[in-house]
Amino acid sequence: MYTKRLGRVGVVLVVFLISALLLTFWSSSTSTSKTGAYTAQPTDYTIHTTEDWPTYIDPAVGNDFSDSIALLNLYDSLVFPTVQGTVKPSLAVKWGLSKNGLVYTFTLRHGVKFHNGDELTGEDVAFSMERLLTIKQGFAYLFSPYVKNAKATGKYTVVITLKKSFGPFISALPRLYILNKRTVMAHIVKPGTYGAFGDYATKWLLTHDAGSGPYTVQKYNVISDLLAAKFAKYWGGWSPNAPNFFEESASSQPASEYAAFATRDLDITDELLPLETYQSMAKLTGATVVTFLNGHNLNIMLHTKKPPTDDVHFRKALAYVFDYNAVISSIYPGSVQSKGPVPATLLGFDPNLFHYHTNLQKAKAELAQSKYANKLDQYPVTLSWCAEAPAEEKVALLFQANAAEIGIKVQITKKPFGSMEADATNIKTTPNASIVFVAPDYPEAGAMLSVRYSSASAGSWEQCEWLQNSAIDKMINDALATADQAARLKKYYAIQAKIVDLCPTIWVMDQAEKRAYQSAYVDWPVGDAIKAGKTAVGSSVMGYNLYAHDMKVYPQKRAELLSGS
Amino acid sequence: MEIFLDSIKNSIYKFSRNKVSIIGFFMVAMVIIVAIFAPLLAPYPKAAGAFIDFSNASKPPSRAHFFGTDVVGRDILSRVMFAFRGALIMGLGVIAAIVPFGVLVGLFAGYYYGTWIDTVVMRITDIFVTLPALLLALAVASFGRPSLFNSMMAVAFAWWPFYARLTYSMASSVRNETFVKAAQTIGAHKAHIIFKEILPNCLAPIFTKMALEIGWVILVGATLSFVGLGEQPPTAALGTMVSDGAQYLPAQWWISLFPALAICFMILAFNLLGDGVKSMLSTEVL
Amino acid sequence: MSLPSWLAKRLGEAVIVLVGLSILLFCITRILPGDPARIALGPRVPESAVEDLRKQMNLDKPLPTQYFLWVKGVLRGDFGMSLLSRRAVVTDIKAYFPATLEEVILAAILQFAGGIGLGILAAKYADTWLDGIVRVVAYLGIATPSFVWGIVLLLLLGYWIPILPIQGRISPNVTPPPHITGMFTVDSLLTGKLGVLWDSLKHLILPALALALAPMSQAARLLRSSMCDDMEADHVYAMRAYGVPENRILTKYLARLAFIPAISVMSLDAGSLFASAFVVESVFNFPGLSRFGMQAILNKDLNSIAGILLLVGVLFVLIIILADLIVAYLDPRTRLQQRG
Repeated sequence: MYTKRLGRVGVVLVVFLISALLLTFWSSSTSTSKTGAYTAQPTDYTIHTTEDWPTYIDPAVGNDFSDSIALLNLYDSLVFPTVQGTVKPSLAVKWGLSKNGLVYTFTLRHGVKFHNGDELTGEDVAFSMERLLTIKQGFAYLFSPYVKNAKATGKYTVVITLKKSFGPFISALPRLYILNKRTVMAHIVKPGTYGAFGDYATKWLLTHDAGSGPYTVQKYNVISDLLAAKFAKYWGGWSPNAPNFFEESASSQPASEYAAFATRDLDITDELLPLETYQSMAKLTGATVVTFLNGHNLNIMLHTKKPPTDDVHFRKALAYVFDYNAVISSIYPGSVQSKGPVPATLLGFDPNLFHYHTNLQKAKAELAQSKYANKLDQYPVTLSWCAEAPAEEKVALLFQANAAEIGIKVQITKKPFGSMEADATNIKTTPNASIVFVAPDYPEAGAMLSVRYSSASAGSWEQCEWLQNSAIDKMINDALATADQAARLKKYYAIQAKIVDLCPTIWVMDQAEKRAYQSAYVDWPVGDAIKAGKTAVGSSVMGYNLYAHDMKVYPQKRAELLSGS
Repeated sequence: MEIFLDSIKNSIYKFSRNKVSIIGFFMVAMVIIVAIFAPLLAPYPKAAGAFIDFSNASKPPSRAHFFGTDVVGRDILSRVMFAFRGALIMGLGVIAAIVPFGVLVGLFAGYYYGTWIDTVVMRITDIFVTLPALLLALAVASFGRPSLFNSMMAVAFAWWPFYARLTYSMASSVRNETFVKAAQTIGAHKAHIIFKEILPNCLAPIFTKMALEIGWVILVGATLSFVGLGEQPPTAALGTMVSDGAQYLPAQWWISLFPALAICFMILAFNLLGDGVKSMLSTEVL
Repeated sequence: MSLPSWLAKRLGEAVIVLVGLSILLFCITRILPGDPARIALGPRVPESAVEDLRKQMNLDKPLPTQYFLWVKGVLRGDFGMSLLSRRAVVTDIKAYFPATLEEVILAAILQFAGGIGLGILAAKYADTWLDGIVRVVAYLGIATPSFVWGIVLLLLLGYWIPILPIQGRISPNVTPPPHITGMFTVDSLLTGKLGVLWDSLKHLILPALALALAPMSQAARLLRSSMCDDMEADHVYAMRAYGVPENRILTKYLARLAFIPAISVMSLDAGSLFASAFVVESVFNFPGLSRFGMQAILNKDLNSIAGILLLVGVLFVLIIILADLIVAYLDPRTRLQQRG
């Protein structure tokens, strides 16, 4: 009977499928049961972390969190930021400033090698500054307004001349990453946007590095993954258990990250996971979740040029009705309510600043004074939150529920960061309210004030307020031009007071960054300080807590964990 | 009249002969009733909107909350009930919008078979069907502010050509039937021929396709909202609930599991009903 | 119609349709609100640099000129620059397409093998408990969106019974095979690296399974119902009455007839795997073209969207032509007729 034969074909096909699955099952169970004498492979000394994507590793292009992590591991800068908010010598061993506050002279370390073996000289430093200023992307905005030029005056000396005085210049310098001039020049493609310099090797540097940092690009996958290998001849030397590889890959579904962490494929998680995921991770053997104030803050940015948030009383009503305690107790435990625009860990923060607190009466009083008081229905507040940071949804819902208490309607949209960025570029498409985390580029109040509230930054994801206030612009410029630190800090105080009075933002909290890490087999300075009971403060400079050179890995302990579980 | 009644009785008999489609019918009826009366039936109607109760957040299923609560303390059962509304609007609304349009286009192209109108119209539909409808809908939905309406427009944009093509193939063959020729000979008006002679003979397969495809449309709608291009919070949408809940897997499995099951339930319901309609109409056509 | 002339005609039609598709995609991507160059470079970059990029991408020209230049580029294999990856879209397609292709091919194999297997089983044991189980499974399979399958499989086989990797294409400690086709499975097979082949296959299984389950169920249902219908058909009874051997009836008529309608539906479903992959690859963090395409869609990266969708369109058209060829081979009645 043919039907029987057909039936047999069916049976064979189904058996084939099932056995393929079973084979997989068997093979993976056998591969994990090989315990016995464990010998660590070089690739076992890897630190794997995740961060939001895309990540641009060209020092003249990258400037977000994930870019910063990659850049600081691949490249060196003249100075290196400390946890205390100051800087320490790195490529530059010493420096001096001219009396007029405009000319910096740096003396470079001798014998620093680039990844290709070339020695790093003043020429390379000057070239890197010129390249950054010409391409105008990445962290160029930190230097473009101030730097006139950079010149090598000797093999180991370089002079950077400013157009106008910039007090925090040295604090900003970690963001100048030094490239090998010879390598860059060799990979230039002509013709390109930059005349004689063709494309300035932007195409090549998208997937390669030309640095002297502790790690060098091994494999770069533009949409998902950066694998960097230890540079054996790094001038800073290596400790015995330092990671051989540093891997940064794209954040994914929390469930996938949890699984990767539970199977010890992932060593340090990103900071974007929901609280519940960290809580589950903390329950794993040998895992620790660390919480530290990192100088970032969470803002609900209010569009000051779009009804109804263009009315200061309306904004104050929102600031008074918002339930700050719910955020720090239920959404981001460990964080603290922000006092104004500057995170408390930054130099120049004013501890005596007035701050808004939850008060329904005051909220109602402010709303009554606003011109939209009687037509709330016609003026709903639009709000966007960032899809890559799932916990922000709770903030959005909380804001919506709070606003409803005084009759204000809020329309919430979940947006990928890229779309929020795009919306922010136009005064018409920017929503009334945007939930955004902001990190300072250098550890001083000025970094936060200028990037958040000066007119130059309006229309960026870091300023969805469109404040455009010329008085504040003047004050910020004046403060930044002040070379004397004490005087500069005083001026920061005045700016903060003025901004708080305008209430362009609901300053939700100073973030306590949470990351889970494999404390059983990874030494991580930030985590270890916390385990030792020290103050939970990380570097306030975005990315610098993930400097792999200072970490240590113990593959033997990892193997024990895996065989034990 | 009696013949008409008989044919209805006959249809109902054919439909009811198929037990599976009866199950489908009751499942669909249940979804529709729950959706309409959600404010009355939902145990916590407040949970459908902007509502936060951190003291009840992330509670597993219990007698108080059959499906548990989500991360801000909203009852998931209530949200699923309300979310049926959006999904139904998506499924029925898109079909209701594209069928008249697609059928109209197909009828005209079929009537003018062999002319330039036919060529132009059918080449245009050819272009649309070179891409999977889901993909085209994804691309279109990403423009503009994400909302239920925009995602419906996107699905409709990608889907109408299929109805145009189906009607076209029916119409272009019916137009050669003797009764159409006869009507033309006696000088009947074009509109009369298209709507009174050709259209009624195309209806059975169109209705079958409609019944079979509501489930698909709901599925595509859920996929759009899964990637964030559908209904926005706090309004409950099944796809969004699954994708948001997936962030809390595996520990808080109920947050995404129940909305996912609800999607499957709805699609299954419409598929079963569609099969019933299909078996009911397939013999009617002849 | 002879095969070469039929094929030439079909390919000719396909080219016209694809030109139409290119216009459609171009229009869809260019009506985007906002300035793509500014979006790409971010707010802190001065206007002069943005202007440079606009010129580089021809965004400063009128739309018809832009379309013409774009098509000219496409014909030379240049889809323009991606705003997301900051390099040529072609480079990204080359880098990510092989991953999606091997994933979709595996999914198609699972779909056909599983669908045909289950369909025949159900038909053979029609109206028994086995048939019942297959039918219920098939109904559920169709009613479950691929992203739900993705999450369920991720939890089931990646977490609760952790036997399969749930992220990426290859384990971190495994070196990818040398680049020949870009498909890890094929390349490792060609270079004889069986360990790598096994590792990359394991990474493919979950995404491919999530993609395949729905179309597999669809195929099983379709085959079962058409085979069962045919078994009761008059001509089958007639042939039995004439004493035609049962085997001959089944091979010559029944099986062929059942496969013919199923094959075109199954091929269309196989083509749609590329679309489902847009969602599934994101669930598994699978670095394929569809994941890149999804990111492009969400980030409004216009050149990548147009390029990737055009590629999927070309593949879809080719699959349809291939399916017609197979149907024509199996069903002499068709004789490579003109479609439509």
